[in-house]
Amino acid sequence: MPTQILQIAFIQKYLCKMFTLQTWIVQALFIFLTTESIGELIVPCAHIHPESSVVQLGSNFTAVCVLKEKCMDDYHVTANDIFWKTGRVPVPYEQYSVINRTASSVTFPNITLINALLTCNIRMFGQINRSVYGIRIISGLPPEKPKNLSCIVNEGKKMMCQWDPGRETYLETNYTLKSEWATEKFDDCKAKRDTPTSCTVDYPPVYFVNIEVWVEAENALGKVTSDHINFDPVDKVKLNPPHILSVNSSKELSSILKLTWTDSRFKSFITLKYDIQYRTKDASTWNQVPPEDTSSTRSSFTVQDLKPFTEYVFRIRCMKEDGKGYWSDWSEEASGITYEDRPSKAPNFWYKIEPSHAHGTRSIQLKWKTLPPFEANGKILDYEVTLTKWKSHSQNYTVKDTKLTVNLTNDRYVATLTARNLVGKSDASVLTIPAWDFQATHPITDLKAFPKDNVLWVEWTAPNESVNRYILEWCVLSDKSPCIPDWQQEDGTVHRTYLRAPSRGPTVRTKKVGKNEAVLEWDHLPIDVQNGFIRNYTIFYRTVIGNEIAVNVDSSHTEYTLSSLTSDTLYMVRMAAYTDEGGKDGPEFTFTTPKFAQGEIEAIVVPVCLAFLLTTLLGVLFCFNKRDLIKKHIWPNVPDPSKSHIAQWSPHTPPRHFNSKDQMYPDGNFTDVSVVEIEANDKKPFPEDLKSLDLFKKEKVNTEGHSSGIGGSSCMSSSRPSISSSDENESAQNTSSTVQYSTVVHSGYRHQVPSVQVFSRSESTQPLLDSEERPEDLQLVDNVDGSDGILPRQRYFKQNCSQHETSPDISHFERSQQVSSVNEEDFVRLKQQQISDHISQPYGSGKMKMFQEVPAVDAFGPGIEGQVERFETVGMEDAVDEGMPKSYLPQTVRRGGYMPQ
Amino acid sequence: MKVLAAGVVPLLLVLHWKHGAGSPLPITPVNATCATRHPCPSNLMNQIRNQLGQLNSSANSLFILYYTAQGEPFPNNLDKLCSPNVTDFPPFHANGTEKARLVELYRIIAYLGASLGNITRDQKVLNPYAHGLHSKLSTTADVLRGLLSNVLCRLCSKYHVSHVDVTYGPDTSGKDVFQKKKLGCQLLGKYKQVIAVLAQAF
Repeated sequence: MPTQILQIAFIQKYLCKMFTLQTWIVQALFIFLTTESIGELIVPCAHIHPESSVVQLGSNFTAVCVLKEKCMDDYHVTANDIFWKTGRVPVPYEQYSVINRTASSVTFPNITLINALLTCNIRMFGQINRSVYGIRIISGLPPEKPKNLSCIVNEGKKMMCQWDPGRETYLETNYTLKSEWATEKFDDCKAKRDTPTSCTVDYPPVYFVNIEVWVEAENALGKVTSDHINFDPVDKVKLNPPHILSVNSSKELSSILKLTWTDSRFKSFITLKYDIQYRTKDASTWNQVPPEDTSSTRSSFTVQDLKPFTEYVFRIRCMKEDGKGYWSDWSEEASGITYEDRPSKAPNFWYKIEPSHAHGTRSIQLKWKTLPPFEANGKILDYEVTLTKWKSHSQNYTVKDTKLTVNLTNDRYVATLTARNLVGKSDASVLTIPAWDFQATHPITDLKAFPKDNVLWVEWTAPNESVNRYILEWCVLSDKSPCIPDWQQEDGTVHRTYLRAPSRGPTVRTKKVGKNEAVLEWDHLPIDVQNGFIRNYTIFYRTVIGNEIAVNVDSSHTEYTLSSLTSDTLYMVRMAAYTDEGGKDGPEFTFTTPKFAQGEIEAIVVPVCLAFLLTTLLGVLFCFNKRDLIKKHIWPNVPDPSKSHIAQWSPHTPPRHFNSKDQMYPDGNFTDVSVVEIEANDKKPFPEDLKSLDLFKKEKVNTEGHSSGIGGSSCMSSSRPSISSSDENESAQNTSSTVQYSTVVHSGYRHQVPSVQVFSRSESTQPLLDSEERPEDLQLVDNVDGSDGILPRQRYFKQNCSQHETSPDISHFERSQQVSSVNEEDFVRLKQQQISDHISQPYGSGKMKMFQEVPAVDAFGPGIEGQVERFETVGMEDAVDEGMPKSYLPQTVRRGGYMPQ
Repeated sequence: MKVLAAGVVPLLLVLHWKHGAGSPLPITPVNATCATRHPCPSNLMNQIRNQLGQLNSSANSLFILYYTAQGEPFPNNLDKLCSPNVTDFPPFHANGTEKARLVELYRIIAYLGASLGNITRDQKVLNPYAHGLHSKLSTTADVLRGLLSNVLCRLCSKYHVSHVDVTYGPDTSGKDVFQKKKLGCQLLGKYKQVIAVLAQAF
């Protein structure tokens, strides 16, 4: 049996992880595709040794391909015809070695990173090359000994160990964490493929029992074990961070805050130590509580040497007291404010004599600098000013502002000023206001001002007498602004200083204004106006009617968020920059908070719009689904005679053979308008109709047709075939002789039954139909016995005029009448009234049924169009059933519309 | 905790801690040699003290958690229902030698470990939603197992004791619900009492 050898196209790229599977697939392919027989045991044509081929990088690799004898005989090949390929690339012949007649080897020296298919191929009949076997060669490295094995036990979790796996092996390498007590061994922990450097054991940690842990790394090229580490898991614990419960201030000591916390359950059986850090709210660097103060288990600590009335932020972490293990994460930060202390310094105090027109008095404006927060030590509630005239009683003033204008006599006064906060008063600043005629006898001399180091220095020569203090006054000389004097106070011992207070305050503006908050921003003061180191800013904001609120902000900030604002309110805000020597207000800025928050309006409008759209969409969908009903009620189809298609009534149209109406209208949903007509006529006094019907009758007799006009829509025309015939020919004839020249407005509109049928004459000049012009054809039709058509007409009547069983007497009556030319149902009714009771009674009963059906039809039927359409269909059916070769029937039926004429 | 059988240690009583162990198992000494998987740490006695302290710190809360989870009448009738009257409880003599104390400690821990296993098994059936109690029972059982390992290591490495006869409490598997609860409560009351003595003795 000839050997079948198929060429195989191999995919060159294989993933390292799949190499084993792929090797099997390759070998399987060879086994299946390189066969010696069909239907017998599949035998490959050759074999390569070794079968498994994971090669260490840098080593030599030799593979031997051994041909089967039978294969050699079949293909007339020997080992000399073997050539090797890696992937699709032939291996150079220099690497081949023909061992004997059946075996050829190939050697790859110093093998590099490779993951390829090595195939043994034979060259048959000179030119045909066939692959006869293949193996996958993968190169890599044996695992290195894992290093730096370490474990951690996160409190409440299981132990996790990690290690450094060393160099890349390029092979699938399994890492297994092994652990044991001295007395028992635990399950291995196999590292996951995506995290080969760590493993979390699946048993809970047991403390105070030494555990020995090591890692084994293994791949196809070898297995290696890390050093063993032996430890007590309690020494590898990372505790959960403490939870700060409170930060409490003390009314007795404004420099302390007491921190309390809860921490790990471990503290019940091991000693913990803590690390507590704190900072002021606006600072970025943390201060450390000395570790020796927190080296034992505790649940509270009092931090001392804090500034009064300052907000501090704390955080804490813990670990085992002996330092073995890991620090916990930092706790959530918690803050507290130290209690207020009395102002630590008296405000700088000065005065200005203002011109006064009153004789004997003078207006004095006393002014002072606000204390910076670190000296105010709380919220300054007010200032107390005391003015004492020589040998007289004192006048006391309590002022919230930083200036006070008083009218004084020309005498000498002594003014004292204290700042007061919740805790107490500052020391008093004392200022002597000399009498109006006082002459300073020893003024300073050599006053000089010069810029240096970006500040303006002022230097003077001190008088010989001792000086309590100096007051420097200055103003900015500018063409654009008037001289607004500023001042600063210096000790009496100095004779040189620089202007330290900012010459102007920062200009604040809003960055973002929300409904209840506003983000303020400002620029750092230029260095030339700082006049010293800016220690902090104070933001003052108020409403038109509200009190002013002050907020201190660290000097490093350029942004602050005012919160708890009232919506739709005008706010006035200004900022002051403070150096050690005082502050300066910037210009006032106003903004108004919006009435609605951002997105609030959208949050209202969008859902409303969506709801509206949804409602509209649902309405449209509803209308679309109920379009027939809506159309029926709003604008029912009214036939347009000018668009009628007489051509479709052409006698050349091949007749359609329907066996029953059900075939044409499987739904059987027939309702006939003619019933309506009957009903309407029934309600009308007959004598009136009689004339018109007689007239019609005459016309029809003369013309062998009828002029009911728009036949499809006419109940009269629809009823015609049903009543007049038993004679199918006549029915057909009547139809064929119908001249579509008139429009019948009948049946009322919607549920209304017209009191009078209106026939309107069309102005159309359309020529008469052939049938009218060729009465002989009609005559032929008349001669055809239409007895077979009785049954269809009965069905027609049943289905079109009544949904109930119509009395068979009607058919009988119709047959007995044999009305050949008069087809109008009104006429029939007239005749009907004239016939005997035994005939009329059943018909009458049947008619009553029909009448009763009308409202039902209107109410539940598909509508007027449907009725008319069905009527037309019936007419067609009648003609078809009779097998008329010349049928003037409509060719199409459009649902929901009138039958094309 | 999953445990692999350790054939090296002949006195591997861990195997006896399986649920349902209610009667003394014959401990057959394999041979007189005593070897451990790796050397015992030098601070073994300190670890044993810490373990006893750890158990002592949680014994009372375990007891409260247990009788609270059982519902009435246990919380209001502790004296009657949870009195530490446990028959056949291994004795302990605090004034003995370290070796004698360790042997007695070994027996007590083995007894408590097996009993705790029974209680845990029963409670998972009787109070399946008392997860806090289950967790605490499991944690206590784990600590007892570690303590047993340490005691064994000490006996083996220092005193070359290769075999200790142990006894176990009554098997509760055939008892009715109330008896199971009562025996468990009595055992935990005894445990609380004994562990305090042991923590003092070492």
